[in-house]
Amino acid sequence: MIDETKPPDASRRGFLNWLLGTSVGGLLVVMGFPVGRYLIPPEASESATATVRLPFKPEEIRPNTAKIFKFGNRPGILVRTPAGELRAFSATCTHLACTVQYREELGHIWCACHNGHFDLNGQNIAGPPPRPLEAFVVNETADQIVVSKGA
Amino acid sequence: MRFGLWAAPLLGLSLVVVWPQAAVAQSEQNSCITCHQVLPDERLSAPAEQFPDDIHATKGFICIACHGGDATIVGPAAMDPAKGYIGSPQREQVPALCGRCHSNAQFMRRFNPALRVDQVTEFEASVHGQKLLSDGDPNVATCTSCHTVHSIKPASDPRSSVHPLRVPATCGRCHADEQRMARYNIPTDQLDLYQTSIHWETISEGGDLSAPTCNDCHGNHGAAPPGLAWVGNVCAQCHSMMAEFFNESRHSRVFALLGNPGCATCHRNHDIHPASDEMLGLGEGAVCVRCHTADDQGGQTAGAFRMAIDSLRTTTEETHSILLRAENSGMEVSQALFALNGAQDALVKARATIHSFDIEQVNAEVGLGLEIVTDVRSRGEQALSDLRLRRVWLAVSVVIIVALIVGLAMKIQEIERRA
Repeated sequence: MIDETKPPDASRRGFLNWLLGTSVGGLLVVMGFPVGRYLIPPEASESATATVRLPFKPEEIRPNTAKIFKFGNRPGILVRTPAGELRAFSATCTHLACTVQYREELGHIWCACHNGHFDLNGQNIAGPPPRPLEAFVVNETADQIVVSKGA
Repeated sequence: MRFGLWAAPLLGLSLVVVWPQAAVAQSEQNSCITCHQVLPDERLSAPAEQFPDDIHATKGFICIACHGGDATIVGPAAMDPAKGYIGSPQREQVPALCGRCHSNAQFMRRFNPALRVDQVTEFEASVHGQKLLSDGDPNVATCTSCHTVHSIKPASDPRSSVHPLRVPATCGRCHADEQRMARYNIPTDQLDLYQTSIHWETISEGGDLSAPTCNDCHGNHGAAPPGLAWVGNVCAQCHSMMAEFFNESRHSRVFALLGNPGCATCHRNHDIHPASDEMLGLGEGAVCVRCHTADDQGGQTAGAFRMAIDSLRTTTEETHSILLRAENSGMEVSQALFALNGAQDALVKARATIHSFDIEQVNAEVGLGLEIVTDVRSRGEQALSDLRLRRVWLAVSVVIIVALIVGLAMKIQEIERRA
């Protein structure tokens, strides 16, 4: 039997009010979460770059020269050997983390901080560096060089 | 049976003339092992158990290469002095015995062309060799003291008593023995001290076998204490940059005049710990205060060194922290972090130039670093400033949106009330 005292659309209005209320709550949660994550960001670890496309072309690097490039936040070194082969290594010295460089007159990689020497395979050959330089994989195409971490 | 001094010339003759030639293709029959391995006296049976694993055995040598005799005969007749049998050589005769082969380049290259053949010459020049061969002191080391007698292995073999990981213990067997060293009046704490050093840590924990152990500084066959004037040359084998700075410095001459042992004056010798900035200046832990005071020019320069290094280190650390905060908040600062590596390089170089004891050289390196840090820091602060701006605008837009929602809700309620 129909209740004559109750407005006929009361249940529908209640449902709509409930729907509006929960929608507003949901909207606030959806807005609040990214805002909160933005204001209190999680601890992020150092950038773990795995591959970089170098900002210079293969012909820009002559035999028996090298260029330093940015690999994440750390430097890398791209060497073109006297024989013309491209090789890339981490440019961070394994002794005290200075940036290494290529010495054309020596024909190998050198660290100016403590006179550490590395050969063109990245092997530590003289001075205090205790370990070889980390070697990267070099992929060369006609107009670009891509360097990536090994497997 | 002991080999007496009277037999030394016979030993030398027999080894030179007969053994190197015979040793290569020795008889497969070895009655020495057959008999000795079942003898009840452990002193006589142990060599038979140990020798098959010895480098000489793996190269085809058998007992007679050193002891003489005839291994094809079973029984006491094998040990006939007429067949070259010499028994167990005395300590002072061991270098000559080993040298019959090991000093013969033509012979040794058949087995290991890379092996040096000057060990006996070096040994004769060493303190051990002089005491043993010239002074007749039988208590000092001879070849077998370090290499063992019947289980000799190449230094590259981790089981070898002269493998880099085992050299300190091998030397320490005598040099850490107070009773044995008492007659020589030399300290016995070298092993304990060395095992606290960065060099031992690098070898034993870092696995870097090229880091120095006892023989890298003292020599192995030519073992001798480094002379005060040239200890720097020993350190310069690896730390050449610092040695170069030091040799050009005023301290090089003054230390020589005072008889101070170069590098070891500040860094010590056996217990060399990682160098730290605290070693500089006149504060606690500083080494400069051993000779200088705040009133002399050297003391003031030491203070200036510390201040220069500290300024670059602290500003670099602060800047790194600013950049990390910006990076963690999602700002792009990778170029700035990359550039900051240059300041770290300058700091490491500045620490190396300390060995020139020249404040101008140090300030030049520090200045380069500070230039980089100043630039990078401004980029980091700009990133943080941008971040603050973004947060403020985010807050403003959130407030506006929330106000709009609340206003809408109130408006809807008002419309409902009217209805």
